[in-house]
Amino acid sequence: MIGLTAVRQALDFGELMREHRAMVFSVAWHFLHDRDLAEEIAQDVFLSLHKNLAGIETPAHAGFWLRKVAVQRAIDAARKRQRRPQVALEDVAEPSVRPPAGDPMLGEMLRKLIATLPETPRMAMILKYQEDLDPTEIAETMGIPLGTVKSHIQRSLALLREKLERRGVGER
Amino acid sequence: MDWLEQELTQALARKEPAPGFDGRVRARLHRRPQWLAIAATILVMIGGGEAWRQHQGQVAKEQVMTALRIAGSKLNRVQVQLKGTEQ
Amino acid sequence: MRPMLTLALGGALAATLWAQQFKFNLDHLASKASDSVDLSLNSSMLQFAGKFFDGKDPDEVKVKKLIGGIEGIYIKSFQFKNDGAYLPADLEKVRSQLKAPEWSRIVGVKSGGDSENIEVWVRNENGKVSGVAILASEPRQLTVANLVGNIDLDSLADLGGHFGLPKMKKK
Repeated sequence: MIGLTAVRQALDFGELMREHRAMVFSVAWHFLHDRDLAEEIAQDVFLSLHKNLAGIETPAHAGFWLRKVAVQRAIDAARKRQRRPQVALEDVAEPSVRPPAGDPMLGEMLRKLIATLPETPRMAMILKYQEDLDPTEIAETMGIPLGTVKSHIQRSLALLREKLERRGVGER
Repeated sequence: MDWLEQELTQALARKEPAPGFDGRVRARLHRRPQWLAIAATILVMIGGGEAWRQHQGQVAKEQVMTALRIAGSKLNRVQVQLKGTEQ
Repeated sequence: MRPMLTLALGGALAATLWAQQFKFNLDHLASKASDSVDLSLNSSMLQFAGKFFDGKDPDEVKVKKLIGGIEGIYIKSFQFKNDGAYLPADLEKVRSQLKAPEWSRIVGVKSGGDSENIEVWVRNENGKVSGVAILASEPRQLTVANLVGNIDLDSLADLGGHFGLPKMKKK
C-alpha cells in the first residue's frame, strides 16, 4: 500500500457543469456569434465530459479539459458551416454617436468585429480576453506555436484599432 | 492594459447560457441516443443484414471503448501515483 | 451415472462462471446512483467488436491488439450524488472473493484521508495471468472491473492515460 499526501477531491458532474457552463458557452458564442449553435456545442461538450469523467483527475484538470474541448468543437462547427460565421465587416454599422467607454453598443461592435477575424486569431483573442490566458496557455490550448499566438494577438489588436478608428471610436 | 484591451475584456466577459441549461444536458444524458434508435429501426425495416451487422459492430465497439476507458483510467491513475512516489 | 452427471454439470457451470471470475453483487446500488455503467463483454462480443476497429488509426490499432488477449470485460461503475450511498460491506463482499488462493493483490493506492482507494488484483493460473480485478472507490463513486484473460496492464494503463483526453500536466 502506498500512501500519498495529495488529497483528491471527488468530482461531481453537476458542480462541474455549474462552475464551467458559462466558460464553455461563451467560448462557443463569442467564436460563432450564434446563440443556438453555441448552446448545442456547450451541451455536447458536457455530454462528452460525462462520458469521460472517470478519466478526469481533479477539478483543475476538468477545467483545462473543458476549455480545450470547447475550443476544438467551436472551431469544428465553424468549419462545418463553411463560411465565416456571422458578420461581414460591412455589417458592423458605424455608430451615429461615438459610444462611451463601457457602452454596450461598443461591446456589441467589438464582439462583431472579433467575429470577422479569421478562425485562429479569433479564438486566440477570445482565450486572451474572455479567459485571461497568457500566450503560452493559449498556445497549449489551441495546439499552435507560441510565436503564432503572439503575432495573431498583436495583429488582431492593430486591426481592431484601425477598424474602430474608421468608425470614429478611438482612445479617449 | 490599454483602453481597447479593457473594452475587449468587458465585451468578451463570460455569459451564462439560457436558463435550464443543466436540465437540458441531463435530459440528453438519460435519453437513449436518438440516432441509435432511429438507425436501428431503419436497419430493421429495410432488412439490411449487413447494415444491421455494421450497426451492431459499432455499438459493440463503443462499449469496448467505454470499458477500456474506465479500466484504463483507473490503472493510469495508479501508474501516475506510483511514478510520483518513486521520484 | 449420477456422479458423472454432476461432474458434467459442474463442468458446464464452471465454464459459464469462467466468463466472469467473481460476482459483483452490486445491482442494488443502481437505484441509488445518479449515473451508472454496466458492461458485460464476453469473448465473442470482443472478437466481433475487434473487426470494427480502424486499422489506420494508431489508437484503435493499440486497442485491437489489447483486446486480442482479453476474453471478457465486466464492469460496474456507479456515480452517487452523496457520500455514504454504498457501504464498505458492499466492497468487502467483492474483496472476500479475491482472497481465494489464485488471486493476489499487486498494488493498492490510497490518497490522503482515505478519500480514494484503487486496488488491482491479478489471477494466476499455471504461472500465467488469467484475469485482473480493479476495485476503485471514492466517497461518491464506485467502480468494480473484471478483465478476463491475459491482460497487458501497462498498455491498458497507457491507453487509459490519453483516451481522447488532453494529458494532465505534471507541475
